[in-house]
Order: sequence, then C-alpha cells, then structure tokens
Amino acid sequence: MRNHWASHLLALAGWLLGALLLGLIAGGPAWWLAGALAAYVAYMLRNVYLLDRVISGAPGLRTFGTRGLWPELVAGIDKIRAKSRNRKLRYHRLLREVSESTGALSDAGIILNPEKEILWFNTAATRLLGLDPARDIGNRIDNFIRHPDFVQYLEDPAGRSITIPSPTAELGFLLVQLIPYGREHQLAIVRDVTHERHLERTRRDFVANASHELRSPLTVISGYLDALAEADDPPESWREPIREMLRQANRMTQILRDLIELTRLESETSKAKYDFVDVADMLRGIVRELEARAERPKLTLRIESDAALLGSESELHSIFYNVIHNAVRFTPPTGSVDVSWGTDDAGGVFTVRDTGIGIPAELIPRITERFYRVDPGRSRATGGTGLGLAIVKHALQRHNGTLTIQSHEGQGSTFACHFSPARLVYRGGASKAAYNRPAPNVKSG
Amino acid sequence: MEVGELGQHISRRFNEDLEHVRNSVLAMGGLVEEQFDRAVKALTDGNSELGLKVKEDDIKVNRMEVSIDEECSRILATRAPTAGDLRLIIAIIKTITDLERIGDEAEKIGVLAARLAGVERPSTNYREVRNLARHVKNMVHRTLDAFARLDSKAALDVVKADDTVDEEYESIYRQGITFMMEDPRTISRVMDTTWMARALERIGDHAKNICEYVIFMVHGKDLRYMGLDSIEAEVRKGVQREEAGA
Repeated sequence: MRNHWASHLLALAGWLLGALLLGLIAGGPAWWLAGALAAYVAYMLRNVYLLDRVISGAPGLRTFGTRGLWPELVAGIDKIRAKSRNRKLRYHRLLREVSESTGALSDAGIILNPEKEILWFNTAATRLLGLDPARDIGNRIDNFIRHPDFVQYLEDPAGRSITIPSPTAELGFLLVQLIPYGREHQLAIVRDVTHERHLERTRRDFVANASHELRSPLTVISGYLDALAEADDPPESWREPIREMLRQANRMTQILRDLIELTRLESETSKAKYDFVDVADMLRGIVRELEARAERPKLTLRIESDAALLGSESELHSIFYNVIHNAVRFTPPTGSVDVSWGTDDAGGVFTVRDTGIGIPAELIPRITERFYRVDPGRSRATGGTGLGLAIVKHALQRHNGTLTIQSHEGQGSTFACHFSPARLVYRGGASKAAYNRPAPNVKSG
Repeated sequence: MEVGELGQHISRRFNEDLEHVRNSVLAMGGLVEEQFDRAVKALTDGNSELGLKVKEDDIKVNRMEVSIDEECSRILATRAPTAGDLRLIIAIIKTITDLERIGDEAEKIGVLAARLAGVERPSTNYREVRNLARHVKNMVHRTLDAFARLDSKAALDVVKADDTVDEEYESIYRQGITFMMEDPRTISRVMDTTWMARALERIGDHAKNICEYVIFMVHGKDLRYMGLDSIEAEVRKGVQREEAGA
C-alpha cells in the first residue's frame, strides 16, 4: 500500500481511537464513536464534492492543502489529464501534418466507402473536381463527376485507369484511378493530364501535317522520275541511278502513307465500325498478290472457318497484309509461310507461321514500336517501312483484338491475331440471327 | 430539405429506392452533358462523324428517361411518398423531361454541326456560337450540381444566368440578319448557325426549368412564371427558415 494511504488509515485509526478513549473517560463510548464516524463521513463527503469540482475543471490542489490522500488523488488526476492533453496535442499535430501534406499534393485524393460515397478528400479535389468540402461529404461521387465513362468505370474499375474531360476546366483532362484498400474502401486518385494530352496531340498533329506536306512534293519527284525511267534519251550511265531514285521515292511514299495511317489510327478514340468483312476472301486476295512476287518462300493458306469479321475493311486489310508481308520478308525463299484463319473458344484467330530468321525473345515486346528494327541493315534491304507492326497493333486495338508473338531465333515466328466473339459472324449455324448485314458486297468502305 | 434527410425512413428499401432514382437522374444528366459536349466539339472541329454519333446516341438518353419514369411511377404506386419525398419524385419526373429535351437539342446541334462541317467556315470559326455554348454548358453543369447538392442558392444563380444567354442569342440572331443582307450566299449557313444558337438558348431554358424544380424540391414553393425578384425573396426566406430550424 502506498504511503499516503497508510498515513490516512493511521490518522483515521487515531481519530477513532481518540474518540473511543474520550468516550470511556466521559461515558457513552458508542455515541462518541458514532459521532467521530459521522464527522469522518462528512469530511469525506466534502472532499468527494470538491473532487467532483476538480474533475469538472476547478483548480484543485489549493482546496485540499498540500499533503495527504486527497492532494495525491488530485495530483494523479492532473497527471492523467496532462498526459491525455499531450497525446491529443500530438495527434492533432500529426493530423495537421497529414492534412497539410495531402493538401499540398497536386493530385486529388478522394476516399470512398463501398456505396461509392465520399468520406474524405483533399484540397486538390476541390480545385480539380469542384467538390465542396462543406457539403459533398457523404454524397455519391458520381453525383458530381457525372461523365458516363466515369460512371461505368466506377462500377467496374478492374485495375485500369481512365481519362475524362475535366468537369471544372474547359478543355482540361483528368486521369482517374481507383485503388481498393481496407474493407472495401476505395481511394480515387485524380491527376490533371491536360498538359500531357496537349503535348501528345501536338506531336500527332505534327507528324500528320509533316507527312501530308511532304507527300505533294514527293508526288512531283516520283512523277518526273517515272517519266525519266521510261524515256529513251538519258545516257546509259544514268539509267540505274534514276531507277534507284524511283525505288527510294516509292519507298518514301509508302512510309508517308503508313505514317498517316498510323496517326489516324492513334487519334481515333472510338472503336472501329462494324462492316461485314469476308476474311477468307480477303486473305485469298492478299496471298495471291504476294505469290506474284519472285524470290519468295512457299505460301500456304488454310481457311478452317467460314466465320467473317465485323470491322473496318481497310483496317483489317492492313492488319492481314502487314503480318503476312512481314513474314514473307523475313523468310528465305527456301522456307515456308503458313497463313490460317479459324475460330476457337475465345473468338477468331488469324495465324501466320513462318520458318524465317526469328526474333530474339527479349526484343519481342519492342517490335511493335514504330521504326523499331531487329536488324536494321537487313530490314531496309527488304524494303519495309518500319511501321507495319505498329499499324497492326493499333488497328487490332480498335477491333477489340490482341496480338501474340512467339518466336525462336533462327527457327521462325508465329504471329497470332485474336478477335473477340463480339466481332465474329458465323454464316450458317446458331448465330445466324445475329448476322444482320446480309449483303457482303455492300460495304461502306 | 437536406441531402442527408433522404436517409431517414424506417424502411431501408424506401431509402435505397429514393437514393437510386436520384442517382439515376444525375447519371442521365452526365450522359446529356456528354452529348452536349460532343455536339459542340463536332462544330468546333468540323467533325461530321462525331455530330452524327450524337444523333445516334440520343436513344440512350431516351431509354434512361423511360426507365427513370417507370421507377418513379413504381415508387408513387407502392410507397405513396409524402412531403419532401413526394416533392423529390415530382421534381424528378419533371427534371427528366427537361433533360431529355436538352438531349434532343444536343442532337439537333450535332446534326447541324455535321452539316456545317461540309461548308466553308466563316473567318470567326463560329466564335459567337462557341461562346454561347460555353455559357450554356456551364449553366447545365451548375444545374446538375445544384440538383446533387439540393442547393437552392446555386439554382437561383443559374436562373439569373439565363438572361445573359438570352441576350447572346439575340445578338447572334441580329448579326445573322446582317450577314444575310450583306451576302445572300451565306444564307443557308447563317440559318443553320441561327438554328444552332436557338437550340443552345433552349437548352439554357431547360436548365433554368430544372433549377426551378430544385428550388421547389428544397423549399416547397412553386416559382414558375414568377419574377426573378420574388423568386429571390422566396429563396432567401426559405434559406433563413432552414437555418433557423437547424
């Protein structure tokens, strides 16, 4: 037992003993004892009353003197109070730090509960999205960010991020990402990407404009070179240089055409249209065209399905043509190129398998980049533009398709384009009803 | 009436129903806003494909109107809402009609933009119309915000802003007449531009209507066809009452 308790009990015992002794001397010790106890109870009651006042805020120590049980109790209470005050201060400071630092972030952060209601957001959210800290807490976030793409994204974020027009700034764009955490809560991070979008657009416009502007002078040059190559009068020593110039001018034209096509594919945000395209027919045409070349590998075409695709005819043609042409270019005349079209559980598959030079595994992810060449010297000699596979990738994306590449160096490669079932049309069979474009040769181009 | 009051019914299903129908209206609003944006973009960029896409997508707006309408009827029939809830449902039924009309006007703008994409552009590149469009877009956006927050003061501001839109429409109209008199070859283009300005002005009116429904929903006062001054007085009174009650 602690010191003050001991002295208090000792004092109480002394008090009662004194009263008992006086009672024995003066007579009626029971009355004396009862009186002393009553006085003790009254003293305790008074102190409890004072303690109550101390707890509710009145200054304590002076009322109780400096020594004994009660001042110790009051000191204890004060100590607890000071401790909790310190802790509160510390939390307060921490909270302020957190809210100041999140406030200093240039990205908006919004915390959502499972019902997509706003629990908290930082000051950047007010700036970027126009949220009102006084009123918008507890409301659903799509009440304020109402863009249909966002509403759809909110239903199914699936780890992606989306770009939406800014609700506050004209011509502004915001990148939104939802990150799940804790018990079904979500953190929405919103970043202003207006500047990036602008740069990207400027780049695209520049490439498109430059290609267009270069095309007309080039047409003139090719025209004259054509005429010169046909003419009889140039001296024999000029004949070969003129032919070479003509070849290079044609290649430049091809590169510009591909660049324009690629820029167009990149800038189209919507999906490709849904025209009926007879894949088998188109593939036969391409193979026939390539077979006409001298010095080519053996070409075989296998049509395993009569399914057709819904898409843009010209874009699908560039996909098929570029992939097959690519395979033919990188396969020696002794090798073979197998082209096939079929369907599997996941939709339509267009495959080109060659026995060409192959691609080193670590370079596979890069070969769809524009102007990327595995072997620069060789590719130029075979007359490619360096843009073919980039076009394939973008055109496929617009057709809800994906490209997979398998390759062994020195043994050959397999390029496969997968198309989703939404783009497939079966002729005959169960899904005939879904096929509502009856005339394959009425194509809008 | 506050946003939070929606959540005070004994039946949780009823709360959810009201909350859901309110969210649907705002989702429909978002769709209409996007339609409008795309229609104006079609004009700015001279993109006829985009303009026709707006026309194509108008069906989505119509479908949403029908489904919200049905949901409102169902709530009226099965829950028999009273007071604030009843006002909410009534305001929603009216709001979706105006939203659908905004969608129709956006469709009209899209079609006109597609047509104008094919003709020579004036030297100003339709600056006046684009200016008007910016104002109207801002009005529609603030209207839906006011609806989401049940904010009668913001709604009142939008009602006031409609005057500017009317003035701008008037000036485009007069300018058009001048152009047509100066050079009759521009008549068809100027007519299209004027129709577009007219559609924008109508969208402003629909936004204004929705704002009046918001004020009705919040304060329970029907303010249609009243002067701006008396509307303002009513809103101020209502806000004061609310603050006194809170």
